[in-house]
Amino acid sequence: MTRLLDLGIDHIHNIIMDMAKLSENSVFTAIESYQNGVHIKKQIFDWSEKLRISQEEVSDLSVELIARYQPVASDLRFIKSCMEISYGFSRFGRYSYDIADVLETMGAIADCDKSAVLETSKIVREMITISLQALQSRNKNAVEKLYQMDDIVDAQYRKYFRDIIESSQEQQENSVPSKYNNNPRCYISALLILRYLERISDHACYIGDSVHYIVTGVSSPRR
Amino acid sequence: MYIDKAYVSIIKNRYGLTIDEAIHDCLLKMESSKKDNNHDQGSYKISIRNLNVWFGTKQILKNINLDIKPNAATAIIGPSGCGKTTLIRCLNRMHEMTPGAAAKGCVLIDHRDIYYKTVDPVIIKRRIGMVFQKPNPFPTMSVFDNVAAGLKLNGVKDKRLIKDIVEESLKDAALWDEVKHELDKPGIGLSGGQQQRLCIARALAMQPEILLMDEPTSALDPIASSKIEELIHGLKKDLTIITVTHNMLQAARVADFTAFMYMGELIEYGSTNQIFKNPQKELTERYISGKFG
Amino acid sequence: MHKEIPRQNSNNNQKIQDIMSKRYYRRKLVDKLASTFAIACVLAAIIPLGSILLEVIKNGASAIGIQLLTQPPGAIGSGLEDSGGIAPAIQGTLIVVGLASAIGVPIGILTGIYLSEFASGAGLFSTAVRLFNDILTGLPSVVIGIVGYVTIVVAVGSFSVLAGAFSLSIIMIPIVVRITEETLNVVPNSIREAGYSLGISKWKITLFILLKSAKSGVLTGIVLAISRIAGETAPLIMTILGTSLFFSSFTTPIDALPLRIWRLASQPYDTAHSQGWGAALLLIVIVLISSLVLRLLVHRKGFRVEALHV
Repeated sequence: MTRLLDLGIDHIHNIIMDMAKLSENSVFTAIESYQNGVHIKKQIFDWSEKLRISQEEVSDLSVELIARYQPVASDLRFIKSCMEISYGFSRFGRYSYDIADVLETMGAIADCDKSAVLETSKIVREMITISLQALQSRNKNAVEKLYQMDDIVDAQYRKYFRDIIESSQEQQENSVPSKYNNNPRCYISALLILRYLERISDHACYIGDSVHYIVTGVSSPRR
Repeated sequence: MYIDKAYVSIIKNRYGLTIDEAIHDCLLKMESSKKDNNHDQGSYKISIRNLNVWFGTKQILKNINLDIKPNAATAIIGPSGCGKTTLIRCLNRMHEMTPGAAAKGCVLIDHRDIYYKTVDPVIIKRRIGMVFQKPNPFPTMSVFDNVAAGLKLNGVKDKRLIKDIVEESLKDAALWDEVKHELDKPGIGLSGGQQQRLCIARALAMQPEILLMDEPTSALDPIASSKIEELIHGLKKDLTIITVTHNMLQAARVADFTAFMYMGELIEYGSTNQIFKNPQKELTERYISGKFG
Repeated sequence: MHKEIPRQNSNNNQKIQDIMSKRYYRRKLVDKLASTFAIACVLAAIIPLGSILLEVIKNGASAIGIQLLTQPPGAIGSGLEDSGGIAPAIQGTLIVVGLASAIGVPIGILTGIYLSEFASGAGLFSTAVRLFNDILTGLPSVVIGIVGYVTIVVAVGSFSVLAGAFSLSIIMIPIVVRITEETLNVVPNSIREAGYSLGISKWKITLFILLKSAKSGVLTGIVLAISRIAGETAPLIMTILGTSLFFSSFTTPIDALPLRIWRLASQPYDTAHSQGWGAALLLIVIVLISSLVLRLLVHRKGFRVEALHV
């Protein structure tokens, strides 16, 4: 028996799935553009806008369903989580845009050492894929793995940050030339992008949390 | 234990117990579970243990075990025919008014079995108020007489006392302001929502400790219904209220605890918050989401 | 967002419309015929009643006078001035009917209450009571008169007021029982439940709540019964005998209006006949007045129709 509520829930589900694909695409494209030096800021900006609009649409639709049909139990948890998940995807879009913007602002960074970013981005891409799969298949156990990977990403980001500070200190104190000094553009852009990647990985974890909540009704504390 | 004489043999054969043994049996169970669990048995107003009810040979309630907390509103929800009305009618021994009714099990109010052989059912009904689905004020009496009916016909003669109680009950039922100048008008002259509040006032006049409400708003329009819901909210501080409703959202709005029944069995019972956000049984989830029933 | 629910084939709709319009004129004709027939039946019922009343009023009005109302009957066959009146008959009717009601109404109401409230539907005793009640309703009044003779008259040793009241009460009881039971059954069960839920005992609910609701119905029953027994002649023939004297004691004969009417009608004299018409008119008037008085007494505020609440 199809309830009237089910039509609305299916609609939200479809929007979320579309947002999932689009945001995944945005992040991957932004990272690739950093890797290959391609300037596609306008393209990513459009995607990010689309994600923002979709997030508002999900929010409005959720409120409408709650007002009209007074859903309870798993329907209610699903609708609440979709509001949070859609925000997460819109954040993916925003950070992708920020990454693309770094390229624009920095200009020539084709000769930089991009290894740190690329290493972290591999992990982040995998996290995004896992979180989308968890959403698709309502897998409540994915969240554990996601948080483990998030710890790695956090560690990598902090290590890079510390290295920069330490080597510039060393340079100041001991006149040892810093390997980061030749081109500030390189390490500033890498640092910024690592920061954005770290935030993306946090949101991927939050998506895993939301899926866990939909399935079990237990919300886990933000770590 | 009230058992319609015509069906004693059915029950004896089925369970092999006599009436006194059955009561003794469930009191023992209560004592032992007190020692097992740490939860505070003493804080329950009504405890139902192993309640089975038949109408003729058809079993309506199957092994109900339920504890009702005092000073709270408990809602009983479930699809039509699941036995919820029968359950609350067992709590004030109204179900035995129906011919062919038989009940087995314990209903303990303040730890005393109300079905014990020396208990007078009429006295039980005075301690427990009941409000029915369709408002049923006494047709030949005025508003004042309706509210005072329980008192007057139970021997209260002090006119000043009756007047005070009637005024207090009508205020508690949020009806005083609307009728204070028309206490002599016939009770059936009020609107549907007012009549239902009149019936609530009539029940409250007996100063009950427990109020049973059988789908109190199903015959009323939404505004009258919401007035009654506000009423329940205000009354539950002093009373234990049990309402049967097939409107789940009303249960969600009004009740602190919710029990879900299906086909004569208690499926799930817990705080309303938990039942409506995260039900443990799949049947409960399907019912409250509107997937059947 | 909402799916369209497919509508039924509108061909069916058209077909129904066609069928209904074709039959329209025939339906109207049948309608007209039926209502005309119904009105004709009503007239057929009212006209005899109306003509009887008119006949009685026409013939009896002239005979009504102080002499008729206050004098005992004179010798049979005497002229207008000496023929006396029917005063003992008036007194007798009032006494015998009053006494019969005093016996019959309480028994009838209590039995009706028992059958409605206290008897379980299929119990042996209540089935027997209902059965006997139905039998009594159908018993010919002359047979009841014979019973009265055989029991009271023989026991007391003479025709008497007691015997007459006894017989009339037997006629009265089943009517009151049936109407009381019916009107109490019509009171919705929700009222009883409301009473039980307040912890009020059953007899109090019946007396103070249910009977009040059933008041006008029960009253109608009583009025019907009184009208019926006031006009019964056969049992009176065998129990009170009739006399020209006023009331003396409960164990002596007395006169009554139906009896007097019968006696006067069987005499060959014109004065007797006109007295008879007067007596008939008087009987109708007495029954009418007593029913009005009863209604006024019980309702107190006049003719208020107690609407049956749903």
